[in-house]
Parts: sequence; C-alpha cells; structure tokens
Amino acid sequence: MASNAIDQTRRMLSLVTYLRDRPGARIDDVARAFGISADELISDLDVLPMCGTSFRGGDLLEIDTDGERIWWRNADALGSDTAQPLRLASDEATALLVAARAVATLPGLRESDRDALQRATAKLEAAAGENAGASSRLSVTFEAEGGVFADVDRAIAERRRLWLRYYSPARDELTEREVDPIRLFAVGHTYLEAWCRLSEARRTFRLDRVAEIKLLDEPADPPPVELRDLSEGLVQPSAEDPEVVVEVGPGGRWVAEYYPYDSAEELPDGGLRVTLRTPDPASLRRLALRLGRDGRIVEPRELADSAREAARLALAAYGE
Amino acid sequence: MAIAKAERLMNLALCLLGTRRPLTKRELRTSIEAYMEAGSDESFNRMFERDKDDLRELGLVIDTVENLDGDIGYRAKHDNNRLPPIALDAEEATALGLAARVWQQARLAGAASGALQKLHAAGGMPQQDDGSGGVEPPIPHSTLEPHIPAREAAFEPLMLACRDRRPVVFDYRKSNAVRAERRHVEPWTLECWRGHWYLAGYDREREAERVFRLSRITGAVRSRAGAFTVPVPDQVTVREAVERWAGESASRTALIRLRAGSGYPLRARATHVRELPDGWAELEIPYGHGLDAWLVEFGPDVIVLEPAELRAEVVDRLRAVAKG
Repeated sequence: MASNAIDQTRRMLSLVTYLRDRPGARIDDVARAFGISADELISDLDVLPMCGTSFRGGDLLEIDTDGERIWWRNADALGSDTAQPLRLASDEATALLVAARAVATLPGLRESDRDALQRATAKLEAAAGENAGASSRLSVTFEAEGGVFADVDRAIAERRRLWLRYYSPARDELTEREVDPIRLFAVGHTYLEAWCRLSEARRTFRLDRVAEIKLLDEPADPPPVELRDLSEGLVQPSAEDPEVVVEVGPGGRWVAEYYPYDSAEELPDGGLRVTLRTPDPASLRRLALRLGRDGRIVEPRELADSAREAARLALAAYGE
Repeated sequence: MAIAKAERLMNLALCLLGTRRPLTKRELRTSIEAYMEAGSDESFNRMFERDKDDLRELGLVIDTVENLDGDIGYRAKHDNNRLPPIALDAEEATALGLAARVWQQARLAGAASGALQKLHAAGGMPQQDDGSGGVEPPIPHSTLEPHIPAREAAFEPLMLACRDRRPVVFDYRKSNAVRAERRHVEPWTLECWRGHWYLAGYDREREAERVFRLSRITGAVRSRAGAFTVPVPDQVTVREAVERWAGESASRTALIRLRAGSGYPLRARATHVRELPDGWAELEIPYGHGLDAWLVEFGPDVIVLEPAELRAEVVDRLRAVAKG
C-alpha cells in the first residue's frame, strides 16, 4: 500500500512512543511490529530528526540509525506525556471493529478464533470509548457454508486433498473432482482456491455451490502458483478470451454491475451495449434467457441462436 | 524544496502535544519551519486549517482557547489524547491482525494498520520476538483470508457522512430507470452484503427510509449543510430490504417440474421433492421476488406448474427470448 502523508504522520507519532520505551530497538523488529518494510521505516527515520516540539528551540529529535539499530540521543527532549500512546481515532476504531465483528460472525470459523476476536473486540471497544460509536454505522456480512468452510479450513491446515461435488452454474451440472486446496478467502461470498486435478488447472470454488465435500487422506500437492491479487476483482478475464456483445434496455443495466466488462456504451433508449470477455461464451446462455425482453446477445451469433432455441424448446412444453 | 506534508503535520502535532499552555497561530507559525516558509498569511492560514483537520482525523483532540487578548490558542491536552490501558494476549493479537488486513479500501486499510501501530506503541500487543533468538510456536488459527472490497467511488464520502451525520445529495439510477434522479438523503448506515455496498437512510423527498446500492450512484456525493431532520432509528435493516429484493424472503410457494440431473440449486432450496418415473421431478420451491427470471435461466429443463401467474410470467419471458 502506498503510504500517504496522513498514514505516515500517524505511524511516526506511534514510532515516537514506541522508540522512547525501547532504546536500541532493531530495525527488523520495529518494521515487523509496525507492519511496514525496513525501507519504509528508514524513510520515517529520515523525517523524524526534522521534527520536534519547537524548531526555534532547537529541540529536534536526535533519532538516528546505524542500519541495524535505532538510537534516540535526546529522548528527554519529548516529555513522557508528549510521547504517550495516543487514543484511537474514530476511523481507526471503525476499521478494526467492523472487520473483527464481520470475521467473528463467519459460520464455520474455529471457535478459538471466534472467542479471541470477541475478546479483542470488547477490549478495543473499551479502549476506544466514544470513538467506537461510529463503528456501528458500517457493517459487513460474509456468507459462508459452515460445514464446508470447516472442512476446507482443516484441509488447508493439514495439507490434505479434498473431494468435491460441485455445482457449475455455467453448465447447470454437478461434477465430482479432487482438488488440492491453496487458500480460503472471503469477498462477500467465501471461496476456495484450489488446484483442480480434473482440469489440471487452478480453479476457484464458491462454497455455497459445494454440494458435498470429503476430506481425503492423501496429502495435497498443488504445484507452486503465484497468488492472485484479489483487489483487482475476482473474475479477471484474459485478453485471449472470446468477446461477447450484449445489448440491454434500461431494465438490463444490472449486467454491467455483475459482469466485468471491457466497455459499456450508452444507448439512446437508456440501455447499454456491453462488450465483455469470457473463456466460455456458452455459459452466458443463462444470461440471455434471464434477460428476456430486457436485452439480447448480439455476438457471437451461435450463442444468440442457442438461447433462442432453448426458449423455443421450453415454450413447446407449455404447448406453444 | 518544499517541506513534506508528513513532516509539517508531525511538527504541528508535537508542538500541540508538548505545550503546557495554548499556543497562538502566530507562535506556531514561528515555531514550525514549514509555516515560516508558507509565504502569505492567506496561504499559511489555509495550510494551518487543513493541517488541524488532518490531525483531528488522526484522532487528536485539539482544544481551542481564547486568551485575554482575544487571540485563539491551540493545544492537545494529554488527558484527552491518552490511550486507556489495553493489553491483548497472543491469540487476540493474532486474530485482530488477521481482521486488520481485510480492508481493500485505502482509507480504512490505513486506519486499521494505524490502529495496530498505536496498540504496539502502547505496549498492548505481545512481543512476537524478544530478540533472544527463540521463536514461539505459531498459534494455530483459521486459514481464512477475508477481504472487504469497496471499489465504489461513493463509499468513502458516504462513510464519512454516516460517521459525521451529515446530509448528502447524489444522483441515483434505479436498476431499471432510464435516467438518474437527484436524491437528498440523511445517511444512516452502510452495509456490505454479498460483496456489494448498500446505504440506508432517510430520503427527504420521499419522506421515508430508503436503501440505495452504491454502484448505482452516478457522479459525486456532495455534503449538505445542516443537521438531520429525522431521528436515526436504533435498528436499521438494510439487509432485510435487500433480501426481499433478492427473493430471499418468500412467503408463497411454487410448484415446478425439473429434469433429472439439472437445477441443483432449485433442488437444494426445495421444500418438497417428488421423483417422477419419467426422468423428471416435481419440486415445491419458495416463491419470492425474481423467481420468474431465475427459472427462465434453466430453459427447457424447468416447467412451471403453479401458480398460473408465475407460469404466465415465465412463458412471457421465454417468448421474448424466442423472438430474439
């Protein structure tokens, strides 16, 4: 995360408190405690000697480092009250409390973790005092299937293979497969990222689509893979994937909220012309059917045809 | 070279914390190098006001006191700014460290790590390594990585407006509307459900509570002067309103035929399943908002039997697709 002036100021105020109590603190230890790189810490240490309670008074902080340890030559320049630990700001309390409450309510979370989070939340609320108040104005719910979650969590911890019966909405079918779990993450829904031994590729499975799960005795052996940066969004179509063009009316604008797209062009009637990519265009037949009169697939032609054909077949069953 | 903002803010914070009596703007200006270099009074004043706001955002309580000469003095009293004692054990610290990493939104991510740093500085976190070379055994904990996305541009201004209870105005396009409409809202709470953010608040024109999906806010969110005109309810129910739209709170049931091997999620939700000898099954499923659109997705693998109204809606949708 790029550090801005606000974050850096916040961090340096804490550093002053921290270093005052720990003469000769090691760079590595401080960086670890503060969750920053040694380089970031050193750039803070470059700024601190320019700071003091009064520039005119010549009481700048004489903080320096030999690259391994940090020394503060005039720690008395700052009264112990000035270097006291500072109370939590409203945003700080909110950021921790909202996250802790969200994780603590996840179905399937280990009870020891849940207990620890609830204890930490109570202590934080007490320490934050009135600044904890605004945290109730923000809340997050993670969805998870408790039983499946616990099995996946255990498989990762014990490095064991899993057997899944998994529902693929794209194909409307259940498939059975063995997978080697890589990680378990939550972004709204909860997902398992795993090496799928059936497709010999990395796959992401949404836990509420797991119809059945078994923890196998074989050890998991996923090939080394680079972890994806999830902040870019869960679905990251590749440039080689085939293009699909969908035209929707005002009632179908939600398509642009649910599918990552390359472009969305406004149409005169208040609709959109959305161009997106997917490795498997056939999977969008569902979308074409769902849209009904609110939109249609323009390209590829085969996809549009298959949706029409499916609709005709379905109508036949109603005697039309 | 201009003096970096972090250095300036740090000096202001240390001056305000270190002083025993309130300092006037003039005194601060002569104490802090960056302010001496600020040039005109006007640019100094602007800079000073912004810096004070920034420090307050960081949690610093700055008192303003008028002295005998009518000058305003500033100071950050120790008692008002001290973190009360807090001590977390190793398990609590690990759990909180996991939770602090969930934010993908820059402001809250910065605030979460800033909070942990304050706890470390206060000695409230257990030492992971005392430098003696001995490494403590890792504490087993869930392998989960939780993430809270907040990519919507409206998130941060609305978060601050909810926090400070400030009315806002924004343009909002309902999911099926051609044009966006201006909405004047007293924002109450933000809630993230299934990865999407929603705002609950009081809509001044409609004179009622409304829920807004952040991704449908077009353009900027602007603050409005003045206070809320309606009391904020103790319990705000964003989720119930959204679930109703998502068809999660169905009060009726529908009867459908489903082809064997397809429609697993329909089966998983069915309250009653009767297998038929012809390779189909008859299912009773909850009938809420949006069921018609969902059933159409299954194409020829689903046939609606009852109620007639749902059957008509599905047929109608199928006709539209068949016409192309």
